[in-house]
This record gives sequence, structure tokens and C-alpha cells, in this order.
Amino acid sequence: MTTAAMNEDERARRRRVRNSAILWALIAAGFYLGFVVLALVRGSR
Amino acid sequence: MADAHVHDATHEDHEHKPHGWRRWVFATNHKDIGTMYLIFACTMFFVGGAMAMVIRLELFKPGMQFVDPQFFNSMTTMHALVMIFGAVMPAWTGLANWMIPMQLGAPDMALPRLNNFSFWILPFAFTLLLSSLFVPGGAPAGGWTMYPPLVLQNGASFPMLIFAVHMMGASSILGAINVVVTIMNLRAPGMTLLRMPLFVWTWLITAYLLIAVMPVLAGAVTMLLTDHFFGTTFFTAAGGGDPVMFQHIFWFFGHPEVYILILPAFGIVSEIIPTFSRKPLFGYEAMVYAVASIAFLSFIVWAHHMFTVGMPLAGQLFFMLSTMLIAVPTGVKVFNWTATMWKGSLTFEPPMLFALAFLFLFSIGGFSGLMLAIVPADYQYQDTYFVVAHFHYVLVPGAIFGIMAGVYYWLPKWAGKMYDLKLATWHFWLSTIFVNVLFFPQHFLGLAGMPRRIPDYAVQFTDWNMVSSIGGFGFGLAQLLFPYIVWKCVRAGTPIGNKAWEGAHGLEWELSSPPPYHSWTTPPSDALIARGATH
Repeated sequence: MTTAAMNEDERARRRRVRNSAILWALIAAGFYLGFVVLALVRGSR
Repeated sequence: MADAHVHDATHEDHEHKPHGWRRWVFATNHKDIGTMYLIFACTMFFVGGAMAMVIRLELFKPGMQFVDPQFFNSMTTMHALVMIFGAVMPAWTGLANWMIPMQLGAPDMALPRLNNFSFWILPFAFTLLLSSLFVPGGAPAGGWTMYPPLVLQNGASFPMLIFAVHMMGASSILGAINVVVTIMNLRAPGMTLLRMPLFVWTWLITAYLLIAVMPVLAGAVTMLLTDHFFGTTFFTAAGGGDPVMFQHIFWFFGHPEVYILILPAFGIVSEIIPTFSRKPLFGYEAMVYAVASIAFLSFIVWAHHMFTVGMPLAGQLFFMLSTMLIAVPTGVKVFNWTATMWKGSLTFEPPMLFALAFLFLFSIGGFSGLMLAIVPADYQYQDTYFVVAHFHYVLVPGAIFGIMAGVYYWLPKWAGKMYDLKLATWHFWLSTIFVNVLFFPQHFLGLAGMPRRIPDYAVQFTDWNMVSSIGGFGFGLAQLLFPYIVWKCVRAGTPIGNKAWEGAHGLEWELSSPPPYHSWTTPPSDALIARGATH
């Protein structure tokens, strides 16, 4: 494998890692806010 | 030539190992961080264990002996928080850090700096939590479930509790994200999902559970915080809030949390039993699907913790039946472990002994769980020592024995040396005998009506409480062997080859013992992966 190809692979891998970490962090944040909103909605009824 | 140069530079970089305190404070290596998690978990295990000793000492005889009721309640609350969030969860994360990259053919975890941050949150969280013992009003004493309105009556320790729980949650979520991202992106080419070792599979599912439920706990305690300090009334009936809603939200987190504590143990037992049976695991795919089913079901059973709070008949039936349904995939697992041993060439080294004790004793906890799932029976058992016996059978000979089994299984690989097998066997037998002396009588106490979370009791409960306390002291003392065995192994163990156990399979056993600082700088070949994946 050439250095350029290796770098390209490495860049793609890093992008995948970063994107999936952000995705899972957003999902976690969604659960956090979701349950607070759920409690608010239920409380306002 | 250029390629060779690049390779050399990379190689040198991988061999670079920082020294002194910087190696640990700025650690980004998965093995260093794994070691720190394990040391932290062991420390917290003894802190939480000391609290358990205070509880058992007070309960040795009826009447008030050594501590006042408020401090006793603080001990039960803090014991639970320290053991769950400080001992068991960090121990699993430590094992995950050590083993997941090695088992997947990856050089490290995907997010090493995040890994460092996840770990270093914990000492601060637990310093904060434990220092609440010294503030006016004492440490939190309303139970680890933090039910309002009781928890809102805590003194200065309340914001410390909430902030500590937030930090523990953040640490767990970040650790879980790291595990998922590593497994999904850093598997060696050829390491397909259904070739992954069971420990990795169970951790992947555990990480999904963590990402889903730890934020729910964080949301619940944030609302407690605003109720206490900012005048909201989420859970305050006087302002139109609903204290029972907290219980629903808490147990939506709390029940999957039980599986977070136990699923990695399923993975470890699934690694150990084939090794010491010298046979492939029976029904690998069924095991994966069983773990996934248990994880799914764990989301729809939460209200079985709340039968006596009151709910419609349909709700009672749903939660009773869905809870009982968990016995099906769990039964699949127990059957497959037994079938793996069937006609195997069994030997009984310490990891296998702990795995077998897990199998028998966790099943006892499972069966008493089924009894608790029956609504009319639960009305009798609720808040008695029967519940205490049940969840301690699940968590001590379940989760703790699973961790012990895992450490005794992989310690020779980590240290490059074999530990004192005789001493570890003593550790096993003392632990197994005393854990039963400690917890089995609690079933009788509970069935006879002894309530939990009380520092004093009626005299008819004396005998079994004395037996239970003797078991507790014996179990506590026996655990002192564990750090000594590990220390002795690291200092003066017998050097071993790559494979510590004759029947072991998996990529971790293809690496040197101890493994190189970065595990797989070159991905393993397909042949190596296939040889490891003999399930």
C-alpha cells in the first residue's frame, strides 16, 4: 500500500470514528432531554 | 523505501512509552487506562466492602450496637452507590479497555483521549461522594434509588450526591461511546460481527444499554436538583408534581442497569467455560441472540420494582409476564454453558471454578427473581430481606465472581506471569462458602418478614442475622487474598508463553505475554482470526 493510499484510508477511518462518536453522543443527549421534556409535558397536563 | 521509512517511524512511535506520573495522568494507552480502571474498582470494592462490614456489624445482634440509625442508612445508601458505580461498572470498563482491542485485532481504543477523560472523571466523582460523609447532616441516607420526597430532605450532601451521579453517568456514557465506536470501526479485516468473541458482543450490547439509560438517570437527577433549588415541582405533589413518576423514570434506568452489571459476566463465562472444557462454545449465535433479547426485555420490565406502589391490573400482568419472559433467553444461556461442558475434557483452574460458581449461584438469584416477579407474592416479599438476598445473589456471585473469573483468566496474559494457583483456589473456596453463609440466610429472614434498610430488628431474627454477619466478615476477609495474589503475580509470578491456558482460543492469546504496548500495530491475518473464532 502506498503512503498516499494509507493516508486516505486513515483519513476515512478517522472520519468514520468521529462521525459515529458524534452520532452516539447525540443519541445520549436525546435520551437526556427527551425524558426531561416527557416529564414537563406530563406535568403540564 | 518510502514505505519502509513510514513503517519504521510508525513502529518507533508505537513503542514510545511515557514514564513516571505522566504515563498515568495523560494515559491514552488502552492497557494503562484499563489498569487504572481495575485498580480504582478494586479500591472502591474495599471501600464499599468496609461499609458492608459496618452494616453487618450493626445487624449482628438486635438493638443499637455501634452506629446511629442515620449513619446506618448512610452506609446502606453509600455501599450501594460505591459498589455499583465505583466497583462493578469501572471493573467492567477496565476489562473492556484491556481486552476489546486485543480481541478485535485493533491497536487501541478508537478515542484514546476520551478514554483518559472517562477514567479521570471517576476519582473526582467518588471523592465528592465520599466526602459527603463529613458534611453537616451526613452522607445521603435515602437509599441509592434517591426517591423523592425523602431524598429532597437531605442536607448539604444532596447537591454533592447529584453532581457525583452526573459525573459517574458522564464517565459511563463516554466509555460506552468509546466501546461502540471501537467495535464498529476498528475490527481487523475479516473480524466479522459473528466472529467476535462473546465478551466483545456482551460489551457491545452493554454499551448500547448504557447510552440509552444513563442519560435517563441524569435527566431524573437533574429534575431532582431543580426541584430542590429552583422551585420546580416535577416530583413534588404539593406543586402538582408526581413522586411516582420519578420511580418510573428511575427504574427505566435501574432495570437495564442490572443487565449492564451482569451482561459482561455472561461474556466472560462464555470465554472461560469453552477454554477449560476444551470444546467450542455450544450455540454461539444463540448466545448472541439471547444476550440481545435480554437487553431488549430489560427495557420493558421496569415497573416490577413498583408493584406495591400501585398500578392497573393490566400493568401488573404485563410487567409480571414480561419479567418472566427473561427466563427464556437466560435459560438458553445456562443450557448452552452446560452443553459446552457436556463430554468436555474439564479441568478446574481458578477461572473455571469462579465461572462454575457463577453458573450455580447466579441461577439461584435468577430463580428468586422469578418469585419476585409474581405480583401477589411480591406484595409479601417487597422491602424484605428476601429482596436483599435476591439481588446480592445476582450481583456478588454473579457480577463480582464474573469479574474475578475474568481477572484470573487474563491476568497471566497481562502480567506475562502465572499467579499462585493454589492461593487463588483458596480465594475461590473461601469466597464461595462465605458468600452463601452471608446471603442464603437472608432468604429465610425475608420470608419471615424482616424488613430491609433497618438498623434494628425483632429478636426472632437474631440467629440468622448472626450467621449472615459471620458470613459477611468471612467473605470480606477472604477478599484480602485477591490484591495479594495479583501483587504476588506481578512481582514474582512464573513466566508463561503466549497461551496461558491450553484450551484457550482468541486473538489475545496470539500476542506475546505480556502483550506489546500497542496491541495489533499490524492487523492479524484472516487465518489467525479464523483460528481464534472456533465457536
